[in-house]
Amino acid sequence: MNRLRILLQNIKKGVVTEKYPLEPIRVPESFRGKPVINIDKCVGCGACVNACPPNALTLEEDLDEGIRYIKLFIGRCIYCGRCEEVCPFDAIHLTKEFELATTSKDDLYQIVGLRMYKCPICGKPYTTIRLVKKVIDKLPPEERPLVLICPDCREKITAANRSFARR
Amino acid sequence: MASLYRKSLWVFHLNTGSCNGCDIEVLNAFTPAQDAERFGVKLVGSPRHADAIALTGPITREALPRVIRALQAVPEPKIVVAIGSCACGGGIWHDGYSVLGGVEKLYEILEKKGIKRPITVFVPGCPPKPEAILYGILLARGMVKQKQKGRIYVESESAELMINKDLIESVKEQVMSSKISRKHVEQITSIVR
Repeated sequence: MNRLRILLQNIKKGVVTEKYPLEPIRVPESFRGKPVINIDKCVGCGACVNACPPNALTLEEDLDEGIRYIKLFIGRCIYCGRCEEVCPFDAIHLTKEFELATTSKDDLYQIVGLRMYKCPICGKPYTTIRLVKKVIDKLPPEERPLVLICPDCREKITAANRSFARR
Repeated sequence: MASLYRKSLWVFHLNTGSCNGCDIEVLNAFTPAQDAERFGVKLVGSPRHADAIALTGPITREALPRVIRALQAVPEPKIVVAIGSCACGGGIWHDGYSVLGGVEKLYEILEKKGIKRPITVFVPGCPPKPEAILYGILLARGMVKQKQKGRIYVESESAELMINKDLIESVKEQVMSSKISRKHVEQITSIVR
């Protein structure tokens, strides 16, 4: 009798196996999948690089070309979502994408290269143009020169001014 | 690759120092809910019977000799399915002293020993969903298409126009022409250059 009941139960319940690769599957609302960098919003500040626990996000600078690269290696990402939390410009988001299997390692990289701003006095690139632009828009006009000169030059100018003032 | 494995793909599950998160997901892929066996994918007990190795973990130094022996035992042509962030790129342990950090480092050692580099499928995730593992194994069999693509974006040179040129010039003028610091700044720029 007992076995018959189990059989009836199973017949009522039907097939439990998902038809996954043949049909798409729904993921939970709070699922954290592949992170994607929005290339229009990213300014290359590097906040996500500081926050990333496994160094899946790295920052590299090509000073000769004047380009700053933000590299995201999905093969090392642990999907914690800290980059999304700290990004000041909402430029990085975790999507619900989980079908990330690839046959080559190169397909796991997302690289964003941003042009760097060169200091008008010493000519050395020190930050991205987008970041300078964002800061300039927020600052009052009298404080803008502070941003447009690189920290090294600024330090030296301040020192020169002070030493002159003392004499 | 698809032509090599038209028939059933037998998988040997190799744990190389993983935290067991990925291992549990591998086992989940073989439960009735996901049921990898309907595609002929089967877990086997010996690498000699296997076509593919499901490799989890960042490959610890302790595990390395056994991993090499297991890989040697798999008959050619063989596939390595690197499951989880640790096996793909080292994960959170990528710069640890006691691990190799991913299959790429393992292949460097294998090449020194004269062993051919096997076909590899990377399944990132920490841990990957059972469906993602199933997807990875089916990608090795050639039953599904690859969705993930690498992306490189480099900003064009016209980005320099975003900041007003006159503003930069005026700042330069201001610094260079100010009576207080002109001489000093010239000295400074000569030092910097």
